[in-house]
Amino acid sequence: MTRAHLLKSLPLLALATSLSAAPPPVDFNRQIRPIMSDTCFRCHGPDKSSRMMGMRLDLREEAIKPNATGHIPIVPGDPDHSEIIKRIFEPNPAKAMPPLMAHKTLTQAQKETIRRWVAEGAVYQGHWAYEPVKRPPVPELTNSSQLINPIDAFIQDRLAKENLTPSPEADRRTLIRRVTFDLTGLPSTPDEVEAFVRDKSPDAYEKVVDRLLKSPAYAEEQARHWLDAVRYADTAGFHGDNRFPAWPYRDYVLRAFRDDMPFDQFTREQLAGDLLPNPTIDQKIASAYNRLNRVSAEGGLQPKEYIAKYGADRVRTLSAVWLGSTLGCAECHDHKFDPFKSKDFYSMKAFFADIKETGLVSDRGANAWGSKLTLPTPDQQKRLADLDSQIAAAKAELATKLPASAEWEKTILSQHASGDLAWIYQRPISATSQNGAELAIYYEKPLDSNFYLSNSNGSTLMTEHKPGLGQVVVSGPNPDNETYTVTFKPGAGTWTALGLEVEQDESLPGNRLARGSDRFVLTELEASAGKSKLNFSLATEGDATGQMPENSPMTVIDGDSKTGWGISFGEARSPFLALRLTQPLTTTAETIITVRLHHDSTYRKATIGRFRLALSKSLYSWPENAESGVKLKARQGDDGVLTTAAERGLPIKVEEALKVSPDKRTDAQKKLIADHFTWSNPALTDLNVKIAQLETARGILQSQIPEVMITEATEPREVRILPRANWMDDTNEIVQPAVPAFLAKLDTGGRRATRLDLANWLVSPANPLTPRAFVNRQWRQFFGVGLSKAIEDLGSQGEWPTHPELLDWLAAEFVQPTWQAEGTHPWDVRHLLRTIVMSHTYRQSSLPDPQLDDKDPDDRLLARQKPFRVDAEVVHDTELAISGLLVDRFGGPSVRPLEPEGYLAAMNFPKREYSASHGADLYRRGLYTEWQRTFLHPSLLNFDAPTREECVVNRVGSNTPLQALDLLNDPIFVEAARNFAQRILQNGGHKIDQQINWAFEQAVNRPPTAREEQILADLHQQSLTTFKESPASAKQFTSIGESPVTAKFKPVDLAAMTTVARVILNMHETITRN
Amino acid sequence: MNLANTRRTFLRNGLGTLGMFALGSLLDAETPAKDKWQGVVHPLHYPQKAKRVIFLYQAGGPSHLETFDFKPKLLEMSGKGMPESFTTGQQIAQLQGKALNCFGPQYGFKKFGKSGQEICELFPHIGSVADDVCLLKSMWTEQINHDPAHTIMNTGMILPGRPSFGSWVLYGLGAETDNLPGYVVLMSTGKGGQMQPIAARQWSAGFLPSKFQGVKFNSVGSPVLYIDTPKGLSSDLQKASIDAVNALNKEEYSALKDPEILTRVSQYEMAFKMQASVPDLVDMSKEPQSMLDMYGAKPGDGSFASNCLLARRLAERGVRFIQLYHRDWDHHSGIKANIPIKAEETDKATAALITDLKQRGMLDDTIVIWGGEFGRTPMSQGDGRDHHIKGFSFMVAGGGFKGGLTYGATDELGYAAVENPIGVHDFHATLLYLMGIDHKRLTVKYQGQDARLTFTSGEVVKPILA
Repeated sequence: MTRAHLLKSLPLLALATSLSAAPPPVDFNRQIRPIMSDTCFRCHGPDKSSRMMGMRLDLREEAIKPNATGHIPIVPGDPDHSEIIKRIFEPNPAKAMPPLMAHKTLTQAQKETIRRWVAEGAVYQGHWAYEPVKRPPVPELTNSSQLINPIDAFIQDRLAKENLTPSPEADRRTLIRRVTFDLTGLPSTPDEVEAFVRDKSPDAYEKVVDRLLKSPAYAEEQARHWLDAVRYADTAGFHGDNRFPAWPYRDYVLRAFRDDMPFDQFTREQLAGDLLPNPTIDQKIASAYNRLNRVSAEGGLQPKEYIAKYGADRVRTLSAVWLGSTLGCAECHDHKFDPFKSKDFYSMKAFFADIKETGLVSDRGANAWGSKLTLPTPDQQKRLADLDSQIAAAKAELATKLPASAEWEKTILSQHASGDLAWIYQRPISATSQNGAELAIYYEKPLDSNFYLSNSNGSTLMTEHKPGLGQVVVSGPNPDNETYTVTFKPGAGTWTALGLEVEQDESLPGNRLARGSDRFVLTELEASAGKSKLNFSLATEGDATGQMPENSPMTVIDGDSKTGWGISFGEARSPFLALRLTQPLTTTAETIITVRLHHDSTYRKATIGRFRLALSKSLYSWPENAESGVKLKARQGDDGVLTTAAERGLPIKVEEALKVSPDKRTDAQKKLIADHFTWSNPALTDLNVKIAQLETARGILQSQIPEVMITEATEPREVRILPRANWMDDTNEIVQPAVPAFLAKLDTGGRRATRLDLANWLVSPANPLTPRAFVNRQWRQFFGVGLSKAIEDLGSQGEWPTHPELLDWLAAEFVQPTWQAEGTHPWDVRHLLRTIVMSHTYRQSSLPDPQLDDKDPDDRLLARQKPFRVDAEVVHDTELAISGLLVDRFGGPSVRPLEPEGYLAAMNFPKREYSASHGADLYRRGLYTEWQRTFLHPSLLNFDAPTREECVVNRVGSNTPLQALDLLNDPIFVEAARNFAQRILQNGGHKIDQQINWAFEQAVNRPPTAREEQILADLHQQSLTTFKESPASAKQFTSIGESPVTAKFKPVDLAAMTTVARVILNMHETITRN
Repeated sequence: MNLANTRRTFLRNGLGTLGMFALGSLLDAETPAKDKWQGVVHPLHYPQKAKRVIFLYQAGGPSHLETFDFKPKLLEMSGKGMPESFTTGQQIAQLQGKALNCFGPQYGFKKFGKSGQEICELFPHIGSVADDVCLLKSMWTEQINHDPAHTIMNTGMILPGRPSFGSWVLYGLGAETDNLPGYVVLMSTGKGGQMQPIAARQWSAGFLPSKFQGVKFNSVGSPVLYIDTPKGLSSDLQKASIDAVNALNKEEYSALKDPEILTRVSQYEMAFKMQASVPDLVDMSKEPQSMLDMYGAKPGDGSFASNCLLARRLAERGVRFIQLYHRDWDHHSGIKANIPIKAEETDKATAALITDLKQRGMLDDTIVIWGGEFGRTPMSQGDGRDHHIKGFSFMVAGGGFKGGLTYGATDELGYAAVENPIGVHDFHATLLYLMGIDHKRLTVKYQGQDARLTFTSGEVVKPILA
């Protein structure tokens, strides 16, 4: 059948809307394929492994051949001799098709259609989605006054055939609110509405559209949809689900939409930015696309299995996003409904076999996440280079003073043998806090501790009940920032260093060390003896495993209250900080030492949960994490008491190294000894301090430089077809990169095809699927449903488009603009969206119409627009925008808005608590919220945002009580209500009716009806009465959130207005685009 | 269904991929009626034996060899090399590249009850209800790491985006409550094992609307997220505010006739009901001390025992699917020292739950499941055991399962399920069967397939049914 014929045929609606007297010939694609796909192809389709009776019905030449039993399935023109007709009309259920086990039934009408189709000659067609995209002629309509662009011609042509007429244009308030939501993800402001309502020029709407299309918010909104599709997230998604550096890719996407990058270029840069000639930084960042799949750092994983998983994920995503196809089904077997072979799946996977990666992807330390690109500013780059050269020079100088002498080594061992190196734990006299945390001292008093014991197979949770020996345990109120003050009397003696042992305990949510966050951050440590301040020259932690570069020990004595020492990963250890006194301290029996531990970092609740203080007498005492002491457990005494390392003052590894003869020491052992020597040698102190300060400065600088995972190409791995996706089965053939065979064969002149070849093909005229899939997906944003409903599946099991010609016209128009094409370019996303929103079809009213409810309840014919709830991020942004809290800032690192306490309790590696951002970052657009895959922010999840563990092109939408609870009680929305109330009181006039009117305009761009006003006025009155009786409650209710409370309003007035504002923010209309 | 009244509801609501049958039923429930969700399986495919499930999910991979599967031969061979015939070509997790030696059971087993079921001596309370429980000793799965293994145990597939078992059941059958979520997840952490993370994906509704997702109750802060009225706001004003929201929404409905608005109204009503009913639900003070003692529960401690008691309270209130995760079963090391700790945490409360349900006449229509995502190797990993997928054990009780029965077996070393193996899909198919559902017929069109919990396989295990 020709394309022209196909286009003339009437598309099918799920609900038949008209029956004409003389039916046109049966159309295979529209009428037969959907039935056969659903009921026949599973056993008689493309997948030969599940084919029954050797019978295949999806290809005509196969279907007219005799099957295994000699019956001919289809005899064209002769239904009575066609086996399929006999079997579908067979009255005996045991013999009828489809068989009982399939749980599929054919209606009488469907059977008749099949019979008629056979009678008419059983004409097959290629599946519509795989046919080349040819721009169909635009229907010429003569009698429409509502024709703005070709979209309307296609829509109204069809409506006319159904005896329907398009709806009139929506009123201006509705229209501007709708188009603002759809293009920018934000509600329109009353000023914008007023300007539009007043603008009587013929291009008033066009001006609005063009203003919106140029706004940064447009890029933010469109990027959001793209990020769903490519399953962009900020965390790895498996196991520890740790943060990986991806956000610069998100910003690349933002810039691409802002700058209207052609979609073909956008495609090439993401799939193969690294393979372009002399790639720019942006093109390299774009290649992060290939790294967005979930990756695992779980210890016992089988690397080959995960390499297989990562590759398959990439194929599924590519297939859904660019091809609108379910190629993922062919991982186990040939596709059951579409002509994708299993070989196609693996050939597609082979394109990605050159990506440098490992199965187990390390999630911590310098080598975390594999190939990365750092993005320093020129200034940062220069400072980094300066620091590096200074560090190198200082280290070179130090090297001239190494190694330690044999005599020094002997001294260490002998002092260790006599116990002189031991740190002496101090017995606190008092322990207090500044902001309310409760500190308890355990000395003789036994203390419960639960901690991990490391061994070669991992770690095991241990339980102990023993005297605390100086341990300070913090409980009670848990403020974001806190200072502990501890005093103790060391007795008479001379001391060289102060030690702080942070005790690990399972009860502590912050990496088992802190009372919150994922780490403790000790920003400053101050001490005094009597009245004299103690000065420290050097801070060290010995073994710095688990430390982020910015959290080095020197930060606790740098006088900067924002930098701090902390441990953010690495289980099963109790870190020990040692501070070298500038001058040895001599104490008398009466000297009281006071130590202040400041926690002033921006990480909330990054406060130490349990700790001990110690002093050392020997210059040679070196810090050792208590973990190693725990490892000594095997040598524990009969009393079951574990020795801790600090009591030794000599790390076990150092001791081991010292006992190896110098010529047999490993490099690591040599370094340990050199470090210990440097720490304990007063002659080297100045140099040591210098190096430590430089490295700290470097660490802090490094932490400020963004990083992003990128694609790095390497020698391609071998890719085999895996039977039933079994990664352990190496018996099948090796495949080379190729696009699905039935679609095309890439001509590379024998060269192995690359990701760039793939990208080029995706956006070439040879591939009809990319523009169709893209256009269909975009359409959904503006009408709530695609022209073909199954966005992710344009294949045989998907839906025949309601308007196939329109879909193709839009696909052609996207690739090569023709309508109002001035200033456009090929693959112009902005042009595509502009064309859609400019149409009358888009601008139609969504008001109720009983006739349409009856004839086209799903609005698939588009005789009107339809309302739907805005997406999760838009709900958030709308509430904040109306309240005035939304912070307008484009791009940048992801942010952490408030989240309920304990929400991350099911996570581990590290065990952690959420630490919300501060200030402006609490009020950014939802797009910027840190996307934690295994525990997505609950508010986003409640409103159906996908976790982005897997590609999603068709968000689910629901309406649940959890959404109601969220909008009512989530502190951010209560804070928004209070801020909205402040705005109302500030700007809304003095009388309650004026105020309600003003507020309504802000929220839903219209004045309230009298009844609506009354409802809110009544609530206001009741609230006033209640809060007057309990002013303290008013104060409490209005102090939720960090944004400033305007002092000029009385708490009672503000609280009463907050209830009104809160109700307005909870209205269905507020979060609905109409 | 009343099409005029349901117009638009699903247009944006992601049901675009649901089959028409499913859609129709869904819309019925989405419409303004106060009726709760009735499920899509009408009539039921089979007579319903079980109305609800309580899944005591022992996360981390409990050793079958120290719980329900006694292997004297393994004890005999302890310390000797594992015969290669068992291990060649098989998947290995952390023991990759290491020597594989037999590691005998660390504790003895006893026979319990009239049925004489063999259970590890560390679980005497479960032993005391041995005649009520059915031991499945031939479970197997295909995923050897925690996260994917949990995912397949919950959703039947390893890819994210599929509905979990609880979501399918809620979608298929609805719940008997509209004051509480129909699918509730509880979590407890104990001692004596490595705590593995559990992703929220495990109770996700996947491609089904989020109303079918599991709602996790928290042991700290609010029991349900955002269930608490903001500080300073009286419950009267909260009620007045919700009434005002609904009054305004009804105004809007009278102008626009969009049924989605009425759905919003009913969701606010339900939210208010939840605010009232959740505190009552989690308030254990009304339970007699003897009941607390039977479970070993201390109110507010967030322990497995308290969660078992809470599970019974949820079951009583009509919640369809209750899943209790108890973590820290990941015994790569120190299995001898740690199994008694886990046993102490779970044994008494598990038996108490079965006893309690039985006393209340609820055991007959409540399925209780005890098991994890996989088992552990008969080979040693130091003094622990590695992940193991070829054979492990589950315990099931109530809801139509045969009590006092041991079914299936692993080989003499406890390596592979050799007698009547039960895969995850078989297990799911059996559970659905007991709930009245044919696992092949509860499907939703997704990515071109008739997606179902059991993916492409699964047979009902008839011999274990009463």
